[in-house]
Formats: sequence, C-alpha cells, structure tokens
Amino acid sequence: MDRSDRTDDFLKKFKGKIQNVIRKPKRLYFEVNNEDLREIAKYIFHDMGCRLSTATATEVYDAIEVLYQFSHDPSGCYFCPRIRIKDKKNPVMNSITPVVRGAEWIEREMFDFWGVTFLDHPRPERLLAREHPKNLDKPLRFGRIS
Amino acid sequence: MKLNENINHVPVGPFHPLLEEAEYFNLTVEGETVVDIDMDIGWMHRGHEFISEQKTFTQSIFLVERICGICSTSHPLACVHAFEDVDNTEIPERAAYIRSLVGELERIHSHLLWLGLAGHFIGYDTLWMWSWKYREPVLQMMEIISGNRNHYGMMRIGGVARDVNPDRINALLPILDMLEKKVNMIVAAAKDDPVLKSRLKGVGVLTKKDAIEMCATGPTSRASGVPGDVRADEPNDAYRWLDFQVIVTENGDVWDKLVIRLLEMLESTKMCRQCLDKLTTAKGPILNDVKEISAGEGIGRYEAPRGEVFHYVRTDGTNRAIRHKVRAPSYVNIPTFKASCKGIPIADALITLASVDPCYCCTERALRVKGEHPNAIDFLKQSRDKTERIRREIHGH
Amino acid sequence: MGWYNKRLAKSIWVFHVSASPCNNCDIEILDLLTPKYDVERLGVKLVGSIRHADVLLVTGVMNQKIAPKVRKIYEQAPKPIFVVGVGTCPSGGCCFNDSYNITHDREAVIPYDIYIPGCPPKPEAMIAGVAKLMEVLNG
Repeated sequence: MDRSDRTDDFLKKFKGKIQNVIRKPKRLYFEVNNEDLREIAKYIFHDMGCRLSTATATEVYDAIEVLYQFSHDPSGCYFCPRIRIKDKKNPVMNSITPVVRGAEWIEREMFDFWGVTFLDHPRPERLLAREHPKNLDKPLRFGRIS
Repeated sequence: MKLNENINHVPVGPFHPLLEEAEYFNLTVEGETVVDIDMDIGWMHRGHEFISEQKTFTQSIFLVERICGICSTSHPLACVHAFEDVDNTEIPERAAYIRSLVGELERIHSHLLWLGLAGHFIGYDTLWMWSWKYREPVLQMMEIISGNRNHYGMMRIGGVARDVNPDRINALLPILDMLEKKVNMIVAAAKDDPVLKSRLKGVGVLTKKDAIEMCATGPTSRASGVPGDVRADEPNDAYRWLDFQVIVTENGDVWDKLVIRLLEMLESTKMCRQCLDKLTTAKGPILNDVKEISAGEGIGRYEAPRGEVFHYVRTDGTNRAIRHKVRAPSYVNIPTFKASCKGIPIADALITLASVDPCYCCTERALRVKGEHPNAIDFLKQSRDKTERIRREIHGH
Repeated sequence: MGWYNKRLAKSIWVFHVSASPCNNCDIEILDLLTPKYDVERLGVKLVGSIRHADVLLVTGVMNQKIAPKVRKIYEQAPKPIFVVGVGTCPSGGCCFNDSYNITHDREAVIPYDIYIPGCPPKPEAMIAGVAKLMEVLNG
C-alpha cells in the first residue's frame, strides 16, 4: 500500500484557492470559499481516495465555521477544509452531498443543531428534534435557554 | 402511496422484547412483505457536546466514558488523543502499553458480547450463554487492572491514571492463559457451525462501492474489502511496537463480519500477551503531567470494536474546550443498512442490522431510513424455498 | 394484600425499561441471566410484555423525548407494580445534570421504590437489591 504523504501535491494543485493554511504533522487545516468547496471536496474524495470522517460546526463571535474532516487512510493524514459563514442570522452554504454520499446525515445534523441551510441537499429535514415534545430548536447556538 | 386496504403499519418500539435500547421502527407491510421501513431515534440523546463545553479537560474524559458502556474505553482514548494532538504531547512508554492493553481487552469483551447477541437474534441461545460465560474472565481482568468491570477511568492527558505493578501482572497471566484456550475453542466452534453458516452466508451483502461511498468504517467496511484500520494507518500508543495483522475479507456478507470479529479476538489475545510481557521489563513513569494546553485544534481517533471513533477539540488556552465534537462509528455504519437490505426477507433483515453492531446510545441521533423494496417478494414462498435449499445441501441431494 | 405480596416474592418477573441509558447497566442486567450469576435459580425472569411484569427495572437518565413513553408503560402495567432504578443515572443524574434534554424531576414521571446506585452497579449489588425487595414484600 502506498503510504506516502500527499499534502505537498495537494497544496501545489490548489495554490490559489485556499487561504489560512495551518499545517501540523499529519493534519492540514485550510480555508476555502463557498464556490470552490464542491470542486475541492470532489478532488479529495474521488481522486485522492479519502474518506469523510465527519464535519463540525462551531459558532465563533463573528461567523459560523463549518469544518469538514477527510481522512486519507493509507498515510493517516487529515485534510480539513473550513468554510466561514458571515451571516449568522441566516447561514447558507453549498452542500457536498451530491459529491460525497456519506455526508447526508452529517449535514442534516448541522441543520438541526445550528440552523445551517445546505443548498442542493437531497433531504433537508431535521434529524433529531423531529416530534420532540418540548420543540427543541437549534440547541447548540449561543443565547440558548438550557 | 395509494390507499390500499392490504397495507398495515406495524410499529415496533420504543420498548420491545427484542430491543435492548429504545428505538422506533415503523414497518409498512403489504400482506406478508415489508415494503417500507421508517426509523426514528433520538431517545438516547443526552447532549454530550453541550455538557462537555462546561467541563474541564479531566471532567470531559470522565463524561465521554459514559457515552457508551460497551465501547467504554474507546471514547476516552480518542478524547485524550485529541487533546494530545493540539500540542503533540508525547506519552511515556509504560503508559502506551497500559493503554493498548486496556483497549485490546475491551475489544475481546465487545466481540464476545456481539457474538452472544447475534446468536440470540437468530434464536441460538447456546451461543449466547457460552460466549457471555467467557466474557466474565475478561471483566475480571479489567477489575484487577482498574477496579471496575466497566467504565475504567484509566485515561489521562499525557498517560494513564493507574499502574499495573508486578503482582497484578502475576494475577493476570493465568487468567489470560485460560482465556486464550477458551477463545480458541469458541472461534473454532463458531467457524465450523452448520447452523450459523446456513443462516449467515450470502445474507445482507454490502458491496465495496457502497462501503466506500457511505464512508463506513471498522469490520463493516473491512468485510467488503476496504483495508482501513486506525491501528495500522495512524499507529499511536503501543501499536507502533506491537506485532499484529489487519483482517480483511472480500464478500461483505454477515458471515464475513462474523469471521472478522472472531479472528480479531485471536489477534487481540496475542497483543495482550505482548503488552504484559513488555510491562514486566519497561520502566519509567506512567504520566507526563500536562499543565496547560495552548489554543488550537486537535483531532484524535481510535479503532473501537465497531469502527473509527473520532473526537475533535478546539481549545483557547483556558482549561476548557470551547468545542468538543464526538462522532461514533455507528453513526456512519447504520446508513449502510439502506444498501445492504434490498430484497431480503424479514428474518434476515434483523441479523443484517445487528451485524453492523449498532450502538444506538453512541449514535445519539435520530435517523429516518425510508427504503422502498422494488422487488417485493412473497415472504412465505421464499422462506419455504430457503428451507428446501438448506435441506438439499445438508442431505447432499 | 399481604398474602399476595408473599406469593409475588417467590418468583419476581421483571421487565426492562431503558430510558436513555449508556447501556452499561442494561448489559449488567443481561449478565445476571448468564451462567456465572444465574438469577433464574432465584425465580427472577425477564419477560417480554409489560402486562406480565411484577417489577420494572428502569435504567438511564430519562430524556425529554422518552419521558411520556415511560409514563405510558407505567400506566399499562397491572398494579401492584414496583419500580427499581438501576444505576447512578436514575438516582442522581450522574454527570448529565447540565444537559438541555434530560428530565430533572424523574420522580414526577414515575414513582421509584428502590434505587441501586453504582456506575454500573455490580451484579452482586443488583441481586442484593432484588433480595431486599423480596424482604420488603415478605413483610
């Protein structure tokens, strides 16, 4: 099995499209624009053969950040594209489910807990708080009532 | 769906004799055939990510242990790997061997548990009683090492909490000898059993393409030919120094998943013996005391008995994580049910779902699976055909 | 109904209700049926239907989605029924008291008679809890 590190090839290929690169041993975090996300996700998933582990949404003081975590199993490295959504009242971004089938529930969970709308998602429904007796609404955002 | 007086809805759950955890299935049945399945989970959600933001690091490790009782040390291991990944903290050699010893013992107990429950689901209670009887020595070994049969509380950032000193090792070795013999016996008996073979071969096949597209992990994907194992891909703790094999098979059916789990149990007993041998000679501390963690992000993972457990933390220099994300392997493995259950009878559907080894309290989310069965078949006729086929195979004509 | 309770104590049939546990207590309850602890020799049996049960074994910190269902189960059980809370979760909430999704006042949903603390309680502790129940029933 070819266990070589593909980070340098990746950085060279997408030089103009990624910003704010944080590089650590076996971890690569970088920021991309909403428009380029699907193209980069397609390259990482199909051409490099990575597997999507999960995606994390975090609310920071000026944006909502969505971080996808792709694992390149032969080398043990992680490639993590980050999208920052500045509009906190109505966060909208492109979905990668048309390209990566396994992202379907991961994005539905983010819709349920943070209210992020994913465009072109095949089934944009709530995942957990459906039919909840206390009508749980976006419980992980700031200003929640616990 | 047009209104048809033959269509009935059969609700199963949330409390049902066959279900250990609360799940809700809504089967749409036309005559004798299942044409639609609707699943609703959310009965276990306790809000771990929310609570973890309010706890300090050491309290978080205590908290994540209680996500699941069966993979009770997988979550703390992934959690401490994530915290150590922020600053690339190293751990002492002795701590690495103790961590791997606890992890591999947990793998043996979890696979024996699965074997028993699989036997119970297909109506084979003898297998259940025998495999759970030999789980007891494993839990006894855990009690000697950590003081509790489950929920060990062994992991700390930078090492482990308790040492395994020589008189404990002398107490563990005879139990490991007996366990190795019994595990070998169970593995040989299960692999040769005609009942298991006839019920499980060719059932619930998950193709390699589906396993890759749905991002499955663990034995679910290794049974379909995808060679991914965190212990070999990103070896940390003592896996850098231990000698073991990654088991991969090709067919993707329930029988393959059973064989993978049996062979992994054998590998785990060998790894436990290597760890105990090294612990008699390795010297040094068991904890590299970490006083503070700088601001940054960390990713930690571990190969749990069910697949890859993934933890992500984001720190800001204080003693709490500002974001702690947990993703359990069952969350990505359960959707494969949609792909592997097309066109099989109801009796086989239950064991196919169980073959993924679902842990709903780990999943902690709600999911809605709607599967239209395009080739809706007459269940009774299919059941008779299968009995006839098995009778012909056994009698040789 | 003193005579009824004495007959009940000879062979208690239990029904297991999992109200958002972490599964550890549930596995230890199943462990009681396996050859090492073997509670069937004491007459204790796990039943599949709530209508056959004498004792409800409730595990877990009840979350808000499942609380109405647990109440329904309790109402369906034929009285007298005794409720045993297994584990630290029903006793005190364990570490989940800060969550947005759990029921803080579990006693308001169903009345608990016996608590068996422990995370998880050892099988010996659970057998001792059952024996205490038998003692109470015997008067």
